Formats: sequence, C-alpha cells, structure tokens
Amino acid sequence: MGGQLGFYLDQNYCNGCKACQTACKDKNDLPLGVTWRRVVEYSGGTWANADETLAPNVFTYYTSVSCNHCEDPICVTVCPTGAMSKGEDGIVTVDPAKCVGCRYCEWACPYSAPQFDASAGVMSKCDLCADYLAEGKEPACVAACPSRVLKFGEIDELRAQYGDVAGVEPLPDPSITRPNLVLTPHRHAQRTGEGTGAIANPEEI
Amino acid sequence: MHVDELPLVIFTIFAQMSVGAFVVLGVVHLLARRRASTATVDRLSDPALYAIGPVMVLGLAASILHLGNPLNAINVLNQLGSSWLSREILFGCAFAGLGAAFAVVQWRGWFTPVLRQVLAGVTALVGLGLVWSMAMVYMLPTVPAWNSPATPVIFFTTTFLLGALAVGSAFVWLLMVQRRRGVAVDDEVTDLVRTSLRWIAVTSIVLLGVQFVVLPTYALSLAGAGGAAATSAASLMTWGGVPLVLRLVLAFVGAGLLGVFLFKVAVAGRERLLFTVTLSAFGLVLVSEGLGRALFYESFTRIGM
Repeated sequence: MGGQLGFYLDQNYCNGCKACQTACKDKNDLPLGVTWRRVVEYSGGTWANADETLAPNVFTYYTSVSCNHCEDPICVTVCPTGAMSKGEDGIVTVDPAKCVGCRYCEWACPYSAPQFDASAGVMSKCDLCADYLAEGKEPACVAACPSRVLKFGEIDELRAQYGDVAGVEPLPDPSITRPNLVLTPHRHAQRTGEGTGAIANPEEI
Repeated sequence: MHVDELPLVIFTIFAQMSVGAFVVLGVVHLLARRRASTATVDRLSDPALYAIGPVMVLGLAASILHLGNPLNAINVLNQLGSSWLSREILFGCAFAGLGAAFAVVQWRGWFTPVLRQVLAGVTALVGLGLVWSMAMVYMLPTVPAWNSPATPVIFFTTTFLLGALAVGSAFVWLLMVQRRRGVAVDDEVTDLVRTSLRWIAVTSIVLLGVQFVVLPTYALSLAGAGGAAATSAASLMTWGGVPLVLRLVLAFVGAGLLGVFLFKVAVAGRERLLFTVTLSAFGLVLVSEGLGRALFYESFTRIGM
C-alpha cells in the first residue's frame, strides 16, 4: 500500500448530477436516510448595477463530498469505543462490532461523513471502497463520474498536480481536521468563512 | 424542538443535580457540625444522602437510552486517552460507585468518621470531575455554540442550583414525614434545617444572578459571531421563543422570588409554608433547567455541512 489516499474534485465541471452519490448508494447498498457521498449545492448572488440597470448576478456551484479520511479525524478523537479508527492505509473506518451508536462522531464531523444506520443501531461511513481498491478498481463514486472530475489517488500526487485547496464554502475550515481533499475551486467559489451564499439543497445532504 | 435528545437532557440534569446535592450536603454537614453533634447532623443528612443514589442511577439509565446499540456499552470506556465521552462515563460510574460505597459505610457506621469524611471528599471531587468532563464533551471545535466557556459555566450553575434546592427539599420533606408519623423532631434539627434553607435561598438567588448575566451575554455573542454560531443563537428562539421565555420566567420565580420568600419564612415561618415554598422552588427550577438543557441541544449547529 502506498501513501495516504484522498479525493480530488474539479468544481468547475461538476454539474451536480449526483451519479457519484447514486453509485455509492448502490455499491454499498445503503438504507434510506444514509448517504455516504452527497452533492451539496451552494448558491448566492447579488444585484449588479450597470448604467442604472439592475441585473441579477448569481452563482451556484456543486461540491461532491464523502469522508475525506482526515489527517486529524475528529470522529476518531471523540469516539469513546475505538470503533472509529484510521488504518495504516489512512482510511478512516468504523467497526460496527465495536460501535455503541452514541452518534458523538455524527455531532463532531463537519462533513457529515459518519452516518447513523438506524436499522443496525450503529454508525456507518465511506471506507473508500476498500474492497474495490484491493481488486485494483476505482471507488464506485469515482468510476461513476460522467464528467470525470471526481478522482482519487495518493494525496501527495493529487496536491502536486492540482494544488492544495479544500477551504471552499460550504466546507469547513480545513485547519480543524486537515482533510485529504483537493479541490479545483469553481470560478465563483467563495473561501470558507467568507461565504455570502447558502446551501440550496439541505434536504438532499 | 425535537425530543430525540430527551435521554441526554435527563442524564445531564439528573447527574449534575446528584453531584450538586452531594457537594451541598457535604458543605451543610461540615458547617452544621460546628453547632450540633455529628449524630444530630447525620440524622438530617443521611436520608438526603440516600435519596441521591436513585437520582444518579436514573440519570445513568437514561443515558443508555441514547445509545443505538447498548449491547456494546462496555466499549465506551475504551478511549479514556482521547475521548471526553469515555472520561465522562468513567467519572459518572466512579461517582455513582463511590457515592454508593459512602452511603453504605455511613449507614452501617463502618470505619472511623474521619475515614468516611475522606471517602465523601473523594466522591465530591470525582463528582465535580464528572460535571467538568460533561462540559468538555460538548466543547467540540466544530460546534461553535457548545465550544464556549459558557458551557462549563452553565453546567456548574445547574449543578449547584438544582443540588442546593434538592437538598433543601429533602430536608423539609424529612421534617414533614417525621411530623406526620408523630415523631418528635428535636429543635436542634429544626434549627439546622432553617439555617440551611436560608443559605440555600441565598445560593439560589446568587446562581440565578449568574445565569441572568451569562445567558444573554452568551446568546448575543453567538448571534454576533455569524455563521453556524448565529444559526444556533436563532434556534434558541425555537417555537416562537416560548421555551426560552418559560425557562427564564420559571427560573426567576423559582430561584428568585421564591428564593427571597424562602429566606424570609425560613426564620420563623410555619413548617407547612416552608415545605410548600421549598418544594415549589425546586419544582419550578427543575422544569426551567430541563427546558434550558433542551434548548442547549436545540442550539446544536455544526460548521461545514
């Protein structure tokens, strides 16, 4: 196994189709209410005044988010049972045989990555399709992306190629958890903490 | 307001009340022994001590209802090195265990009084550790409304406010029961109860003051911080602000107005009046604190998505 794995997304060409979300849901057979990968729509806008004519100046961009297998995962820090752990391969997983279902990680994670499986009474989350990786395949979400803007790989290589931006609204300040996520920000992307928009699809994430 | 967190409201309120009652009872015991014999003081404080146990156990039992998979409950002590939740449960069980041990040795009269006092002191310290770890559980950097110095202040205020009024209620209850049974209550005990109630009244008025300074300051600082914190501040006004206003009014009437009244009637008022005033104050403040805690959970808003 190589270095720490992570995800990359080019926000400019993500059109919010949710193929990644659906592929994830299908591959992992997730129950109703559990969606490990979600596509969040961030929208806002103002009026632009040109020659005394007010014209709407609006923006929307999409961010596909699952678990970012953080360097300093807060879900692992807060977990009382040790069910949540970061493996040697850097993948953060939850062990249902240990989990007590207290949902403390759910409170803590700013990406909503750990999700409660009500039927099992324990938490569940993205494991980066570890079984697919072992077979040499891509994670289901990455393989499904029709725009080919969602990628995965060793985070050092992704950063060398695409830079090191992860602090884009509505994502949290990356200094808190240090996510293994690289974004090519949308041309209208707003930096974390400087957002003027809002999440347009809260019921979908 | 959603009721999902009701088990946690019950757990945190009851556990904090238990710690507060244990500490307040200890302080009353220490101070009272200067003016009355240990035997007299024990006659008053022991029944109150025994009442703390069931409350704490009820709180711990409620916390289990919060778990999705209680069969794995034993695992919650696995991460004492990193998780405040593990530490909270350790302190909770240790407080309950030590408290039970102290109640037993006190009841059977085992060991010397000094040794029992040391055990009580350790139990009280572990109890305060429990309240501190409870506050730390909520100090998550990703939840700005909870990650505030107001959290420990609010938790400790609840601890001593409910603890003091619970001890006062236990005292007047004891007097009433003995009176009903036709047991002659000696004047020394009655005097102790009256003096304790005066101090309990003062304590509750002071703590009400603390709440009335901390709560608006806290809410306005959240509102001013913007982002997730501002969303939290807005959610304190859930259901048109009815729970918040009710919580404040009940605290004012229970700890404030009835506190002043209690301070006055504790000197020479009739016992029946004392009983009614103390229990009413306790009941109103308990409901107020329950509403306040429900709002605390309601204010949960995470940064990010």
